[in-house]
Amino acid sequence: MEKLAKKILVIIPAFNEEGSVEKVIEDVKVHLPQASILVVNDGSTDLTSEKAKAKQALVLDLPFNLGIGGAMQAGYKYADERGYDIAIQVDGDGQHSPEEIPKLLQAMTQRNLDMAVGSRFIGDSAYKSSTMRRVGSSILSGLISLIIGQKVTDPTSGFRAADRKAIRLFASSYPQDYPEPEVLVFLRKSGLKMGEVPVRMNERYSGESSITKMRSVYYMAKVMLAIFIDSFKKGLSE
Amino acid sequence: MLIQIQIIIGTLSVILLLITLELIRKERLREEYSILWLFTGLAILVFSLMPEFFLSQFFTRITGIYYLSAVVLIAFLFLLLIVLHFSVVISKLMDRNKELAQRHALLEMEFKEMKRHTLPHGVDRS
Repeated sequence: MEKLAKKILVIIPAFNEEGSVEKVIEDVKVHLPQASILVVNDGSTDLTSEKAKAKQALVLDLPFNLGIGGAMQAGYKYADERGYDIAIQVDGDGQHSPEEIPKLLQAMTQRNLDMAVGSRFIGDSAYKSSTMRRVGSSILSGLISLIIGQKVTDPTSGFRAADRKAIRLFASSYPQDYPEPEVLVFLRKSGLKMGEVPVRMNERYSGESSITKMRSVYYMAKVMLAIFIDSFKKGLSE
Repeated sequence: MLIQIQIIIGTLSVILLLITLELIRKERLREEYSILWLFTGLAILVFSLMPEFFLSQFFTRITGIYYLSAVVLIAFLFLLLIVLHFSVVISKLMDRNKELAQRHALLEMEFKEMKRHTLPHGVDRS
């Protein structure tokens, strides 16, 4: 069983990423040739879908913009239906380096994880970010670490690999608005094992972060509220 | 003073009721909401018709509120309930909408794949 090659799907959520999606697909092909590549076009109004198709990637065209949560869930649904063993999320803006994917996969097998999350902030990864974001990020990671009882350094990282169990879980339910931090809490509640892996991340090729400097405080407050509500949901269901 | 308020509120509630009935007639309002709105309209109408009760010593003593504030308060509570109800409905609709969009995209992809396989010479007519 272990010898059998695992079916791997790389999910690239993309909303108006025509400037970078081709490069991301190419990079994945170079570093992970055995994987299928699924670009989830989240209602882009530019040429994201066409460019991805031209690069021979599978493209899932959502009829309108669902946001990162809805787009990723669509990708997980695809992975679930087509029986993939591992689904890897790589953002369409080029922030994540596909050459780091093997590190995620390795960690999953070695540490027996259901989900491996690439972290910018452990190890020697010299990731530049503003002080503001660093502070916000550390408050958030502190809070999440506290809730799930496990140290988390990069809760907003969207560079992650999920196994069969996690894929199935995400296909049936996935947080909407701020999925990355919320998923960590959700995963723990569902009894799945998550671990962080040090990775190097790039400055994005194009586009802007969904979290601009101005809005980061607002974002923080909303994420924390969402996480607070999530932990309340648990109380209700049990 | 009181009679003026009575007329204003009474007229408003009648207008509300008429609009509701018209919307039901045109099937623009679903049953569950129409009942809510009819009830709201009727409740306000009753308050405007029976100010005596709301001015009575009894009512004022047990609630500590006077006629006008009672109407406003009760109307406000109704509106709060309606708005909350709408939030619940909208949440449900958004959820279903998301599910539908995802299913639509997955089916469309599968459909195009099938079309590509069945068409001769791999013609892609999409």
